[in-house]
Amino acid sequence: MHSDLFHQRFEARYTDGRTAGSRDVMVELTERGILIPQDGSAAPLIWPFGALATAEPLTDHAIDALVTYSYQPGATLFVPGPRFARALATLAPQLTASAERWRAASPWLWGAAATVAIGVFVWLAGLSPAHTIANMLPDKARTAMGRQVVKSMTDGRAVCRDDAGLKALEKLTGRLVAATHDGKAFNVVVIDWGLVNAFATPGENVVLTSGLLDAANGPDEVAGVLAHEMGHGLELHPETGLVRAMGLAAATELLMGGSGTLSNLGIVLLQLSYSRDAEGEADDHAIAILRDARISSKGFARFFERMSKTDGSAKRLGKGGLGGMLSSHPDTDERLAKVLRSGGYAATPALSEREWAALKSICRTSLPSAKAGHSE
Amino acid sequence: MQTSATGPAVHHPPRGERLDLTWLKPIGMIGLSVSNFIYRILTLGIYDFWARTEVRKRLWSAIRLNGEPLAYTGTGKELFLGFLIVFGVVLLPILIVSVAAILIFGPNSLTANLIQAAIYIAVFMLVGVAIYRAQRYRLLRTNWRGIRGNLQGSSTPYAMTYFLTLFLIPLTLGWIVPWRATKLQSMITNNVRFGSMPFAFRGNSGLLYGPYAVLWFGILVLFIVASAISGMVIGSIQGDLGPGLEPPDDVKQLYGLTILGVFALAYLFYLFMSAWYRARTINHFAQCTHFDSASFNGTATGIGLLWIDITNLAILIAGSLVVVALLSAIAALIFMIVHALVPATAMSPAEIQAYAAAMAAPVLVFIGALSFTLLLPVTQARSMGYLIDHLALEGSVDVNKIAQSTADPMATGEGLAQAFDIDAF
Repeated sequence: MHSDLFHQRFEARYTDGRTAGSRDVMVELTERGILIPQDGSAAPLIWPFGALATAEPLTDHAIDALVTYSYQPGATLFVPGPRFARALATLAPQLTASAERWRAASPWLWGAAATVAIGVFVWLAGLSPAHTIANMLPDKARTAMGRQVVKSMTDGRAVCRDDAGLKALEKLTGRLVAATHDGKAFNVVVIDWGLVNAFATPGENVVLTSGLLDAANGPDEVAGVLAHEMGHGLELHPETGLVRAMGLAAATELLMGGSGTLSNLGIVLLQLSYSRDAEGEADDHAIAILRDARISSKGFARFFERMSKTDGSAKRLGKGGLGGMLSSHPDTDERLAKVLRSGGYAATPALSEREWAALKSICRTSLPSAKAGHSE
Repeated sequence: MQTSATGPAVHHPPRGERLDLTWLKPIGMIGLSVSNFIYRILTLGIYDFWARTEVRKRLWSAIRLNGEPLAYTGTGKELFLGFLIVFGVVLLPILIVSVAAILIFGPNSLTANLIQAAIYIAVFMLVGVAIYRAQRYRLLRTNWRGIRGNLQGSSTPYAMTYFLTLFLIPLTLGWIVPWRATKLQSMITNNVRFGSMPFAFRGNSGLLYGPYAVLWFGILVLFIVASAISGMVIGSIQGDLGPGLEPPDDVKQLYGLTILGVFALAYLFYLFMSAWYRARTINHFAQCTHFDSASFNGTATGIGLLWIDITNLAILIAGSLVVVALLSAIAALIFMIVHALVPATAMSPAEIQAYAAAMAAPVLVFIGALSFTLLLPVTQARSMGYLIDHLALEGSVDVNKIAQSTADPMATGEGLAQAFDIDAF
C-alpha cells in the first residue's frame, strides 16, 4: 500500500528496558513492522505496526517519535526527525492524535447524546424525576422535612394559639380533611405575619399567615385557600419542589465544595413557586374537596379574583406559595372560570359567625415560635 | 605492563555520563487546547480525564534528558476510574452524611455543626494523602528510556505531618513555613526512585530562613507603609477642611482611588516578594536534591516566576473572553432563528425571551465556567517550560546501573488530588 515508505532507514536509540542504558541503531520500516537490528548474531526484532504505542499522539508537528511495543514492556525506540514520525502516522494511523481522541471520546459522545435525549424526553413527556423521588420518600422523612420547613418559616415569628381560634381552625381543617378521602391528617399552623400568604409544606402541613385571615371576607374564602394548599400537599408538590431544590443544592455543594446551601430549606420553599400544571392540579383538588365538604367554591373564587388584581392588596403577597400562584400566570382568568363553574351544589358556611370571629382573632394569644417548635 | 599501569587506567573513566536537562517547547498547544475544549463540552465534561492525559503526554515529551524525551504512560481511563472511586468512597459519603445531619438535627444545630466540623477535619487529613498518592501515580507513569519512576513508602507520615503542621502556621505567625515546606519536600524526595536508583534530599531549611525573614518583614513594612500613606491622604484632606466637615464627593472619590492605588501597588510588591521567595525555595530544593553523583541546580528568579504567572493569567482571561464572545454570537443567532420560526401569536416576545433564557442558562453557565480552562494547557506548558529551563542536572549519572523498578504500578490514579483540586498539571 505504502510501498514508498518501506525500506527507509532511520538513525534511532534503542533501550531494552532492563537498564537506563541505550544504544544507537539503524531501524528500517518494513511491511511486517519496524525492524530493529540486534548486537552480534542475534536475530533482529520486528515490531508490528498494530501493537505499537507512542509517548505522545502523532501530530503534523511531530519532530520525533518515542515508540514502545506492547509485547516487550520497558523497551523503547527513540527516532529523531519528523520523517519517521510522518511515515509512522501513515503506517499506524491508530497512533495519530485525532484517532486517539476519537477513540477515547466517542463512547462518551454517544453517552452525552443519550443523556441529552433522555432529558429532552423527560421534559417533553412531562415526567418529573423529582416527583418520583418525592413519592418514594418514607412518611417519616416527609414529616421530618416538614418540621424543619415549618420551623425555619416560623423562625422569629409567633405561632398563633388562641384556644377558641384553634378550635375553629380544627373544625375547618377536619371538615376539609374528611372530604379528601385520603386518610391523611393535615396539620394547619397560623403564624403572626402581615404577609397575605399560605404555604403547603412537606408531610401534610399548611402554614397560613394572619395577614391572610385579615384579608379574607368570610370562612369560605379561607376554606378555599386551605383546600388549594391541601391539594398541593396531596400531590406532594412541596416535597417535589424541595427534592428538586435539594438535588440542585447537592449538585452545587458537590461541584463547589460545600457552602451550606442545604441549611435553608424553609427559605427555599418560601421562594418556590409551582408550575401551571401543579397549580391546576391543586385547583382540581380544591374544587373536589370543597364540593365533598359542602362548602361553596364561590368564596375561593372571590378571594382568588380579589388577590390576583394588581392593586395594593396583591402587592402584599410574597413571592412563593399562594403569591406564586396568583402572580405572573397568564391563565388566571381561565382558572377562575373553572372554579366558578364548579359551583351549583347545596352548601353551608364553612364556619359559623362565632367560629369565624374566633379564627380571625386566633393571634390574640401566641407563642414564640422557638418554643412551639420544641413542643411539637 | 607499565604502560597499562600508568596509562588511562589511572584516570578511571567517569563511570557515569552527564545528563543534559532541556525543554523542547511543544508545538501545537493552542490547537490541542481548542480540541480538548470542544470534546469536553460535547461529552458533558467527562472527556476532561483524557484531555488532561494528552496534555501531560505533550508536556512530559517536551522534557528531554540528553535529547531523549520523558514519557507519560498514564491513561484517561485510569484518571477516570480514580475519580469514580474517590467519588464513591469519599465525596458521596461526605455529602450524604452532611445532608442527613442537617435533615435529622436541623440546620445550624450544634450536632449538625459538629458533624460538619468533623468532616472538614477529615478532609484536611486527606489532603496530604491525596498529594502523596498523586505524586506516586505520576512518577509510576513517568518513564525515561523505558525505566519507571516511583514514590515508595506510605502516605500516612506525610499526611500527618502536613495536617499537624498546618495548624502550627497561624500559631507560629507563619515562621514554621520554611521548615514545613522543607520537611514535606524531603519526605517526598527521599522516597522517590528512578528505576532502582533513589533520589536523596540533603539539606535543611536553614538557608530558607533568611529569604523568609525578608518576605515576612517585607509584608509587615509594606502594610505599615500603605496604611500610613492612606492615613496621610485622609489626614491631609481632613486637615484642609477642618474637623467635622465632610469633603465634597468628587474629592472623596479621588482620594478613594488614591488609596486603592496605594494598596494595589502594595499588592504588586507583595506578589513580587512572594515570587522571589518561591524562586529561592525552588532553587534551594533543587540544590538539596541528589541523584547518583549528580545534583540539581536551580536558577529560577522572582521576576521570571511573576512574569509567567501574570502572563498566564492574561492568557486565561483572553481565552475566556474569546469563548464568551463566541457564545454570545451563537446565542444571538439562536434567538434570531427562534424569533423567525415561532409565529408571533403563539408567544409574546417577552415570553420567548424568558423561555429562551431558561433553556440556555444551564448551557451558558456550563460553558462559561469551562471557558477559563480553554488555554490552560498553554499556560501549563509555559510554567513547566520555565521550571525546566531553569533547572540543570550537574554531575554524572551511571545510567547502566539503573535497573527497572520492581514496584507494583498502581491501577488507578490520583482521584483524591483531583477531587480536592490540588493538581498543578
